[in-house]
Amino acid sequence: MNEMSKNENLDIQIYNFAYLDENTKRMIRRALLKALCIPGYQVPFSSREMPMPYGWGTGGIQVTSACLIPKDILKVIDQGADDTTNAVSIRKFFQKTANVAVTEKTSDASLIQTRHRIPETKLKEKQILVYQVPIPEPLRFLEPRETETRKMHALSEYGLMYVKLYEDIAKHGHIETAYAYPVKTNGNYVTDPSPIPKFDNPKMNNSPAIQLFGAGREQRIYAIPPYTNVKSLDFEDYPFEAMKANFKCSICGSSDSYLDEIIVSDDGKRSYICSDTDYCKEQTKLNSKKED
Amino acid sequence: MENYPFSENSINSSIAFRSLVNATSYPGRTFQINKLNKPSVLSNAAATILITLCDNESNVYLSKEYNTDEVRDWLIFNTGAIISNKKNADFVIGTWKSLLPLNDFKIGVPEYPERSATLIIEETKYKKVKCNIDGPGIKNKLNIDLPNPELFIENNNLYPLGLDFYFTNDLEILSIPRSTKINIIKSEL
Repeated sequence: MNEMSKNENLDIQIYNFAYLDENTKRMIRRALLKALCIPGYQVPFSSREMPMPYGWGTGGIQVTSACLIPKDILKVIDQGADDTTNAVSIRKFFQKTANVAVTEKTSDASLIQTRHRIPETKLKEKQILVYQVPIPEPLRFLEPRETETRKMHALSEYGLMYVKLYEDIAKHGHIETAYAYPVKTNGNYVTDPSPIPKFDNPKMNNSPAIQLFGAGREQRIYAIPPYTNVKSLDFEDYPFEAMKANFKCSICGSSDSYLDEIIVSDDGKRSYICSDTDYCKEQTKLNSKKED
Repeated sequence: MENYPFSENSINSSIAFRSLVNATSYPGRTFQINKLNKPSVLSNAAATILITLCDNESNVYLSKEYNTDEVRDWLIFNTGAIISNKKNADFVIGTWKSLLPLNDFKIGVPEYPERSATLIIEETKYKKVKCNIDGPGIKNKLNIDLPNPELFIENNNLYPLGLDFYFTNDLEILSIPRSTKINIIKSEL
């Protein structure tokens, strides 16, 4: 059965649609649906070797591969940017193996694969956001044994995580954790939001879009369905605070988007620009319209 | 070729799976499934779930109406699935009445809540009770009709363990995962 025999593009004939074989997709698809039924719970799956190294999004790419349809418009971002190596490579990978349309515009995309950011533009219903996850287990650095962390999740025993956050306060006067800030999903499982800045955490809560997480090396898939309560862990007297650098983007002037700090001269002069390149472009366009 | 469930397997299974993702993500809403080659007794939607998700690791329980040579041959030939009893089933297919009581199906264990059965409910000829549902995937509370809602409430009380349901009707699919909370509005006779 050569699925691609009708396609004239010889390059893609050698692949099954979206690279992975059908049996692998079935296994991933079963894991994805159970993950959606149990928000925030990490479903084990037998992750495949992908044509890229671990840490470059092997989990995300497998989830995307299992979800992609020919009509999709794919957007891939790495730290908010569409034009960095990781994003460009993954986008090209799916252009080649699935022949899908691609875009840089968040609002045009039907499936967005992301590394370490959530787009600034609000997501819509039925849009799928696929996160690349390095360490899916939020408790792993506190308890290295999988048998123990599994039991802790089963018993909702998250005291250790609160102790960690408390120690932050005791040492630094505030919760120092700035990225991969743990959340509680649907009031049950403590979940790792992947290394997004905590500025992005509120965007996960009650989002109309479907959020899927793939950790290739660690062989875990988890999900946050749309309109699901996602609460960043905190204390009554030390409430969660989404923060960002207190500057304006030096390209578009936006003061409400997450900023990257860049060094612009040899003597260490700093400048700040939007981490979300699509958002920055949109804001720049809006500004020039206003000036006209 | 025309006897395969999907004409272009890898493309059409991806489209089918996307409908399942949408249905599972937005419980209580109806989503459309495309037609496929399937045994006459199965609905397109139910056949699509089986063909998209099952392989030789999947235990499938067929209730009496569906446990026919035609269904078994089709399922085993196309997926390699194992025909199983209620207790071990990963996927269950039947009419509502034929699957009761639900306690025989596996609900997962606290360490592995995903090791639970997915129930595919065929036909809509059951006694309907007006319910109001809420939970993950539901923006504003939705009104839907369910059979024996007390069983769905019981199932939700097991959360994060429990059964996940798909209601299938010809080309339509609707999901009620274990995370969905159910309120009975009133009983209709």
